[in-house]
Amino acid sequence: MTEPHDLTTEAPEATTGAPGAAREAAPDRYPETGAPDETGDLHGVARHVLAKGEADVVIGWEEGRRGVRPAFVTTPDDVERLVFDTRCVHNLATYLNPRRRQVAALGRPAVVIKGCDAKAVAGLLREAQLSRDQVVLIGVRCGGVLEVAELDEPADLTPETVSPRCYRCDNREPHLVDYLVGDPQAEPPRPPKTVDERVAELEDAPVAERWHFWVEEFSRCVRCYACREVCPLCICERCVADKSVPQWIDAASHPRGNLSWNLTRALHLAGRCVECGECERACPSGLPLMLLNRKLAQAVRQRFDYVAGDDPEVPAPVGDYRLDDAEEFIR
Amino acid sequence: MSTPVTGREPRPTPTIYEPSLMTVVDLVDETVDTRTLRLEFNDEGLRESFAFRAGQFGEYSAFGAGECTFCIASPPTRAGALECTFKTVGKVTAALRELNVGDTMGFRGPYGNWFPVDDWHGKNVLFVAGGIGLAPVRCVIWNVLDRRDEFGDVTIVYGARSVDDLVYKRELEEWAGRADVNMVTTVDPGGETPDWDGRVGFVPTVLGEVAPSAKDAVAVVCGPPIMIKFSFPVLADLGFADDDVFTTLEMRMKCGVGKCGRCNIGPYYVCKDGPVFSATQLKTLPPEY
Amino acid sequence: MSQERQTDAAPALFLAEGELAALVDELAAADVEVIGIVEAAAASPAAAAADVLHGRPALEYRVLPPGVTPLLGPGMPRLSLKGFFLPQTEALFGWRQHGADVGIERSAAATRPRVALGVKPCDAAALEIVDHVMNWDYADDPWNERRAATTVFSLACPVEDSSCFCAAVGLAPDTARGADGLLTPVTGGWVVEPTTEKGAAFVAAHAERFGPAAPALVAEGAERRRTAAERVRANLEIDADSVRDWIAGHFDDPELAALGVRCHGCGACAFVCPTCHCFDIVDETEGVGRGTRRRLWDTCQTGKFTVHASGHNPRDDQNARFRQRVNHKFSIYPLRFGEVLCTGCGRCSRECHAGQDLVEILGAIDVAARRPEAAVAAADGGEA
Repeated sequence: MTEPHDLTTEAPEATTGAPGAAREAAPDRYPETGAPDETGDLHGVARHVLAKGEADVVIGWEEGRRGVRPAFVTTPDDVERLVFDTRCVHNLATYLNPRRRQVAALGRPAVVIKGCDAKAVAGLLREAQLSRDQVVLIGVRCGGVLEVAELDEPADLTPETVSPRCYRCDNREPHLVDYLVGDPQAEPPRPPKTVDERVAELEDAPVAERWHFWVEEFSRCVRCYACREVCPLCICERCVADKSVPQWIDAASHPRGNLSWNLTRALHLAGRCVECGECERACPSGLPLMLLNRKLAQAVRQRFDYVAGDDPEVPAPVGDYRLDDAEEFIR
Repeated sequence: MSTPVTGREPRPTPTIYEPSLMTVVDLVDETVDTRTLRLEFNDEGLRESFAFRAGQFGEYSAFGAGECTFCIASPPTRAGALECTFKTVGKVTAALRELNVGDTMGFRGPYGNWFPVDDWHGKNVLFVAGGIGLAPVRCVIWNVLDRRDEFGDVTIVYGARSVDDLVYKRELEEWAGRADVNMVTTVDPGGETPDWDGRVGFVPTVLGEVAPSAKDAVAVVCGPPIMIKFSFPVLADLGFADDDVFTTLEMRMKCGVGKCGRCNIGPYYVCKDGPVFSATQLKTLPPEY
Repeated sequence: MSQERQTDAAPALFLAEGELAALVDELAAADVEVIGIVEAAAASPAAAAADVLHGRPALEYRVLPPGVTPLLGPGMPRLSLKGFFLPQTEALFGWRQHGADVGIERSAAATRPRVALGVKPCDAAALEIVDHVMNWDYADDPWNERRAATTVFSLACPVEDSSCFCAAVGLAPDTARGADGLLTPVTGGWVVEPTTEKGAAFVAAHAERFGPAAPALVAEGAERRRTAAERVRANLEIDADSVRDWIAGHFDDPELAALGVRCHGCGACAFVCPTCHCFDIVDETEGVGRGTRRRLWDTCQTGKFTVHASGHNPRDDQNARFRQRVNHKFSIYPLRFGEVLCTGCGRCSRECHAGQDLVEILGAIDVAARRPEAAVAAADGGEA
């Protein structure tokens, strides 16, 4: 069978992250903008951007009745609501998606982002869904998060509870930021099984077994499209699943419809997905969507030497046209 | 999953979602993208027994494409067949447009409420319509004209963006030729042709110029939202009470029978409580239509 | 189609733990489908990690395979029971077309007898609440057939967590509404109380499995039910009538008009909800000249739900859509059918990825509705 492509062990220096301008330029910006506390105080930075009118709303996390949840802070007096801890799993870059009119109506946003979330912001920039001067980015140094935000207290990360995608994260300190807050964090623990190991396990199984696995999994899909709605990079004004002329994807949640929806979703995100895992967490049926996303990320890495990073200047394989492309059909 | 029929016996009676089959017996192209189909029930019994009231709607099936909601555009006073008029905008209307005379389609209905035509005995009736909004109004117009002696003056103010966009052109001429109908046809400025002999101006403006009396009168208004919006104040200025002004609302629907939940506006289900609403009711609705 | 209720309270029965498997076997032998709660396979890392953190496995309703007994204990399946009555997708009918001829092929009626054992009371109650709309002037046969074919026994609920609020919407953790009987967990088994003729007939048909319930066990069950009721009342108390009228009269109130800011519009709340019943109807072709018309779950939380063919969308952003969800459940439905379209199961809050929280929202609306000026405004403008 094919050997597992563990991206992390292959040390994808070439394209991941941002070796270029953004990475070097970013640190200079902290003092320039006059952040009150360069060493990283989330409340201070949030208060600053609201008070100075750099942003109309700070999108971060707050303590809700059921754990932490996205927060929309619009006045400097209100910034104490903001928290950041291991429960802050959401990718808030999702709220920068131009489809979210109710968020856009709040005005110019500042958004609190982890390293993984910064990759989603880069995706939106890369695909011209957002321009850099429309948004203030408050980066948080991150040591990994839990898979669950709905906890009364932040919990320590253990192999069983840490989000598996945090393992060997290459962006624990985001670079695509205007402000960077928080102390440097330790590396998160290794989960009992990494996502790559799970993908490899599945790939080792015979085709019939793999097919059975996915048919079984997809049979539980209720077609709520939560995976799509929470995805920061599902940006289509009108999703192919919502189109009826022609009806590419059966709307019904029978095996044919479910298979075509789930595969289409994954394929549309190939080379774009930042593996934040929002789709999998939002799924009310617990489908292992990250296995698909990861497999496609591996394929994109292998074929195009590309990993979705947080430098918006690095073009993605989809959306990049080159005269010297290796494929003849495209020239 | 691929076939609906399992080993068990099929239901002996149709569910509320099963359409009756109808045959296209005639079709008329009203405009470049608007067509009228004349339909007859395949079932002889239904052909005899089918009854409805002016303003009710149906769910029309193009098998393989789905269902679409339109009012019945022909009057209840002309039994035996029914007509619908639709603009080709989506999957189902495109499929309905593919149908030729002799083809089979499906129909569920009649659904919803109706214009209280029976309460209008002796009253003057004013019709105000724009574009394809004439379709539901046409049903009421013919209903009234077929019972002409029950009503007072009949005035029709109808307009469209351009001469090409006027629907039911033959009937417009017929109504204009009748001595017992005051027919006013208009097109939006710029929409006229060199030989156009009707008025030029937006429907609400022309309505104000025609200024039909509100005394013992009711008004039926249907057209694009913007036309309805600007016609209501004109009617109010003319003295029409909100209780005497009626319109029919268009909402996205699927079931037509108060189940599927998508035609809610405020406390109303348009498919069951509507589609006909008085201006009084309309003013209590949240702006979600 | 409300269930016939027995007027005389029958003496309580007892189902011993050891008899459950035998009862399920007996049902299987009689070709009766048994629906019950089982542990769900947690395939995704997110689901698995969530299970670890929550300290409990994910559950689901299933048609039990042979030899499997239902879990009759605490825990709330992620999806409600509604899929067994309004499936995620079902064929309404098929058609075949040959030239101008079209033939309609009716689907089979859903008539195989079924028993649902150990249903959450909030899920069973939802069935009776949704019965109203499913029989509003037009009877929805597929729904009614499944209702008629199914005997439902609810399991008195210990109250799962702080998102449960059945008492606030006029129910209770031990309600037998929508069910044919109630099971109450006690030492060594369950106290069984049939509440309809269907339930009594079920018990009578399996008389050997049930014994008389000792008064001590009945008392134990009653005590558990009492403490559960107390617990759920502490989660949320509202005046549902005031909430209904306040919403009707305050469509543009900032409290209602800005509920959807963090909402992703994913609709997971509607899909896990026992009372959300909105659906879509679609045609699917299967090769040339044949196909199936299906209905499938749909939700008011997506833009597609209301968009007109012209492109105009009456509810164009998530604030409007979330308000519709609250409005439909707590004002439109009760004004129309006399009761709230919610059983307080709390799934929408639990499943919401963005932390939308109905307990919090209803609490806030209740406070607004109790304000003196709100009461005046509701009296003036809430008649709509």
